[in-house]
Amino acid sequence: MNTGPSLNTGPSLNSGLSLRTGLSLRTGLPWTVLRLHRAALIVWGAFLLAALGTLVWQVEVTADSVREGMSACARTGGLCRRQAVIHYGGGISWASTLVYYSFFAVAAFAGGALVGRELENGTAELAWTQSVSPTSWLAAKLAVPALLLVAGGTVFVLVFRWAWAADRDLMGDDWTFNDVFAARGPALVAYGLCGLGVGALAGVVLRRSLPAVGVACAGMYVVNHNLEEHRGDLWPTAANGLHPESHYWPMHLVETGVVLGVAVVATGAAFFVLRRRTG
Amino acid sequence: MTTLLASTRPAPVRVPGAALGLARSVVRLHRSALWFWLLLMVALAATMLWAYGPGYGTASADVQDQCRRDIEACHFPGGPWLSRYSTAVALTTLVVAFLPLLVAAWAGAALVGRELENGTAHLAWTQSVSPARWLAAKLAVPALLVSVGTALLIPLHRLMWDGGENLLWTDWFDAYGFRSNGTVAVAYALCGLAVGVLAGLVTGRTLPALGVAVAVMFAITHLGDQYRPSMWPTVTVTGAASLSLPDKALQLDRGVITDEGVRIGNNMACTTADSSVADLRSCLAHNDLADVWATYHPQSHFWPLQLTETGIVLAVAALAATASFVLLRRRTAASGAAV
Repeated sequence: MNTGPSLNTGPSLNSGLSLRTGLSLRTGLPWTVLRLHRAALIVWGAFLLAALGTLVWQVEVTADSVREGMSACARTGGLCRRQAVIHYGGGISWASTLVYYSFFAVAAFAGGALVGRELENGTAELAWTQSVSPTSWLAAKLAVPALLLVAGGTVFVLVFRWAWAADRDLMGDDWTFNDVFAARGPALVAYGLCGLGVGALAGVVLRRSLPAVGVACAGMYVVNHNLEEHRGDLWPTAANGLHPESHYWPMHLVETGVVLGVAVVATGAAFFVLRRRTG
Repeated sequence: MTTLLASTRPAPVRVPGAALGLARSVVRLHRSALWFWLLLMVALAATMLWAYGPGYGTASADVQDQCRRDIEACHFPGGPWLSRYSTAVALTTLVVAFLPLLVAAWAGAALVGRELENGTAHLAWTQSVSPARWLAAKLAVPALLVSVGTALLIPLHRLMWDGGENLLWTDWFDAYGFRSNGTVAVAYALCGLAVGVLAGLVTGRTLPALGVAVAVMFAITHLGDQYRPSMWPTVTVTGAASLSLPDKALQLDRGVITDEGVRIGNNMACTTADSSVADLRSCLAHNDLADVWATYHPQSHFWPLQLTETGIVLAVAALAATASFVLLRRRTAASGAAV
């Protein structure tokens, strides 16, 4: 087991071979993760592009036609205006709601496909005999999706901030709506990473794909539901007992911190459990 | 020799207990799912009964008590008991309304997808269980348990839902409430089973089957919510009657008829006239209009709407189940037992 060329073993008999293997391993492991989960990558990419496309379409195309329709029904007011708002705001709110709550899908994917299935099938154990240590196996499994989640989530947050602010008069929501609150800042990315960590922990602990999917989703529901219920308590209220809009960033950043904390603890626990099991 | 050769391939004997044995093996294989299902049913039933009885009683007494002490509280009822009660109602309704997605996820992943991925299905088909009978057992046993479980939840949910009318303003046409209050609940659950099984057979893998089944059932329930008002003829009234629709009516559209006889939908003109006929007449004459109208579903359309939707959703379920059998037969006929 220990005789073959391995990573980071200092001067070896054939340092050239060792270096080359090390390099290809370091780039090869993330590549394997991407290749193994290419279907998930394609689905996620298509989903994100559809959400971004909807936002751009609503702002650049739908907004104008809705304004035309509203000026045509100016005489009747009431219901006509409300329907225009629903038509325009509906698309934007669908995009933010689906992308925000996609952390459930991330948790299910991490618990089921990324970790649980590999431990259930024994393909993880096979990988660990191929000069990939359990720790670096899990690190690669988590680093690649984490990178994609951060990149994709950041792009979505920036585009959503632009789309949400573009035509405020055509929308019926405000900054306190659950999806709007989360999707206008880093909390959206934090929830994705938290889903990844919680899913990985469920997968490592249960070592079976379907139970891991269920437990990971339930765990994320508990975290998210409790935070949504207590968003108002994350920052002291103003003198009138309410939150002015200027409290958005403090509240949002506290929630981001809490969610990232859960993500770090869950990921750490996943590594700890894996190391103890494979010890 | 001939007798020996003949005896190596005996005609399939229909053992009376075989069907029962197959059903028993399905239950045994999925006993953890069965336990989960039973626990879920008990938890839902207990929560709904609590909400219907003590939950409603305590919340209602608490709200009245607050109202007596502070006039503000009469207009904005609140307090911990009302919040507990409304959480119990909202949560159980949510779970019952989305049970079909859970059933679809399980059927796609655990019932069929995993068996095909592992190869345990192929093993079963070599043990004198034909693929068609294997699939029939996989559908029939869960269908029975899912139908019975959901059917028992419906009357409990109706009790709770109707009881909450005064405190929570629960409507008969609320999307989640509607899906939990009648026969459509059973139909959607069975549809979830059939769609899950089909997704499992199409993908042949656990997790993709789970994703596909949930996505398809989400789409089906969403379409049901969207097109529900079109599933039974609506009622249209004109004149003063359109300004005061019956209690609990689901208003769908209202508009005007001009003097030229043109019908304009989605128009609120003259709706602010109070329902006295003279007031309405003067408003119509002032605006060159002949009449006003409104289209709606009265509450009495609840059961016709339920039964029509039940029929449609069951047809979708039957279609998915048939497609599963056809797909399985074509695959196993083409290459033996290799799916």
